[in-house]
Amino acid sequence: MNQSLTITRSILLSGLLISQISNAATVEFWTAQTQSDRLQTIELLASTFEALNDGVTVKVVGVDENEMATQMAAAVAAGTTPQLIEVNSEIIMALGEEGIVDTQTHQGVINDIGKRRFHTGALTTLTSPQGQYYGLPYHGWIQGIWYRKDWFDEKGLAAPNTWENIATAAKALTDKANNQYGILVGTKQDSYTEQVFTQLALSNNAAEFDAEGHLVFNSPATLETIQYYKDLALYNPPGPQNWRARDYYLQGKMGMFFYSTYIMDDLALAEVAKGSLSSENFKELSGGTFDPELVKNTAFAPIISHKSAASYGTLSGLVALKTSRAADAKATKDFIEFMYDPASYITFLHMAPGGMNPMLKGIAEDPAYLDDPNGVFKLYGADKMKQIVSGFDDIRSFSVVGGKTFPASGAIFAKSVIPRMIYDVTIEGKDPQQTLDAAEAEMKTIMAQ
Amino acid sequence: MSSVLIKNESRLGLKLVAPAVGIIGLLVIYPILFNLYLSFFDVQLNGSKTFVGLNNYTELLGNPRYYHSIGVSVIYLIGTVIGTTVLGLAAAILMNQTFRFRNLARGLILLPYFAPVISVVFGWQFIFDPVNGIYNHVVVDVLHLTNERENLIGNPDSALFVVILFDIWKHFPIAYLLFLAKLQSVPKDLYEAAAIDGQNPWGRFWHVTLPELRFVIATVVLLRVIWNLNRFEDVYLLAPNVETLPIFTYYQAFAGIVDQGAAAAISVIQLLVLVGLIWLYVRKVLKW
Repeated sequence: MNQSLTITRSILLSGLLISQISNAATVEFWTAQTQSDRLQTIELLASTFEALNDGVTVKVVGVDENEMATQMAAAVAAGTTPQLIEVNSEIIMALGEEGIVDTQTHQGVINDIGKRRFHTGALTTLTSPQGQYYGLPYHGWIQGIWYRKDWFDEKGLAAPNTWENIATAAKALTDKANNQYGILVGTKQDSYTEQVFTQLALSNNAAEFDAEGHLVFNSPATLETIQYYKDLALYNPPGPQNWRARDYYLQGKMGMFFYSTYIMDDLALAEVAKGSLSSENFKELSGGTFDPELVKNTAFAPIISHKSAASYGTLSGLVALKTSRAADAKATKDFIEFMYDPASYITFLHMAPGGMNPMLKGIAEDPAYLDDPNGVFKLYGADKMKQIVSGFDDIRSFSVVGGKTFPASGAIFAKSVIPRMIYDVTIEGKDPQQTLDAAEAEMKTIMAQ
Repeated sequence: MSSVLIKNESRLGLKLVAPAVGIIGLLVIYPILFNLYLSFFDVQLNGSKTFVGLNNYTELLGNPRYYHSIGVSVIYLIGTVIGTTVLGLAAAILMNQTFRFRNLARGLILLPYFAPVISVVFGWQFIFDPVNGIYNHVVVDVLHLTNERENLIGNPDSALFVVILFDIWKHFPIAYLLFLAKLQSVPKDLYEAAAIDGQNPWGRFWHVTLPELRFVIATVVLLRVIWNLNRFEDVYLLAPNVETLPIFTYYQAFAGIVDQGAAAAISVIQLLVLVGLIWLYVRKVLKW
């Protein structure tokens, strides 16, 4: 009797164990948030999800945004594709075209959450021409010119919201002999350069594609933008520059710089700015301790007008990748939905208050959202916040024309065609028209593949 | 009887060699052949392939950047190979003399070679930072040699030379080490005989040291050529705008979505060139 009970029990137990094992699922999550404090927050979210879901393991891996496409290609080739990634929309569209994205899971999540809860424009950006969702919009930022309001006032300069104003101010604020620079535009061959160029190009009505999907990049409008860009770059610190040079602004050595809303917490909080001010620069030379007046003295011009008004922004999305294991796919879908749950969503967005803006309606008005732990939203005040977010109404990019998305734009982005063109003109001093011709030829090659 | 024995022995020999042949085939021959095969296709990430014939090759050979990168590579190779060899030789001859703390000095010379490349690269970058770096601080603010701050690493005209300088500094210790090892085995009586013949130090170097070191120098040069033709990390981390062949390959094939077909085509050409060069060098210079 006793013995049979033991046997029954052990059979039951082993059955339970087996069912546990078959339920076991892994979600490997690659995120473009590589800073250690952000990774910690994402780890925390992952652990919470693990605690709520037996047998599911979430593995968080930080991958640099510029390396994401390359790393993905290597992973696919090696058969070690992650289940989920978080990256910008251009890379998402390029990956979508490679046929490795699990559009069914995306459709499922949208059905569960409700399509109407997403901002329409954000969803459109990640939709394929066939109407499939290549990714799910998660957070977005806008870019504009951040500038020293106090210096502008001192010199009687107008806000840098038109081409003329920007050029005038850049010239007036540059004093190279005293290590002072008027502006920073990207000149390195990376995505920051493309982002700065895109905003200026859009304000000049330059485009990559027309509404029929024809390549129209090689146009007088683009050429004019390149020439203007070249002139601006004269007021840059010497040599190729990228976003890291924002440190010069924080050190009080630069008048204007293009940056996304991600800069908001650096400007406001000494703790966050520290990374830019000391650890990676020579202490005695940096010339900068944290300037508590910087928030007050900094203003933001999100919209630049020339032939039309343009703000530029990009969004990051969550992308489920095809997997042969049903359990993994199910766990990935659950994890994505968990990430959209207001509690976890707000926790995520608070990693960079103002930098990461919600893509679900209603979150921005949530009192919990406006009450970030460091008080950044309070420091900026409601009015400034409203001005910053106003940029989202006019958000544009190269990949969406007339409500239609052109994934080829993502492939062109991934191959850094535009940043290399800019580098050639600004640093190598090559002829703008010839460089533009070469870039167009390269774009055609990429599209032919 | 003996013929059976010979047969058995040769069969055993084959069996003993088979694993090695198998491993080499699997790890060396197969990837090369597969690479050759891939170079004729447009490969998508999900695994599907489209045959494009010689398209990858014609595109590559029609790209002016390709020839530019070959030119940059040649300057880089000449600069670094000569630089490391000469500096390594000089250091080895110096360190072969007897003086106090010689062992300590011998060890210290190796330091750049030990240091992880990522940390020294960032060190160099901070030194040459145009706004905050110590180089500009000293040259412009302290010594007032020029009025304009320079970005030596970023400026394309000087970047190649900074990269060459960096490579020489980082890698001359390996040449030094090989030369020093050989120098210590050169018999003293050769030098004494040369001295009796009336040779001054320069003559002794020319008639004794150099002939003795001939093969080591040739080996060092060969190794450096192979290494530096394929060197990626030092150049890319320090100055990604110096487009040597590996950097060009990276931008063409591995930046963004990997273009496996194009990457294969580039590596096939590079392999052929490298094999040809080495064959020529081994036959003509090393005379093996």
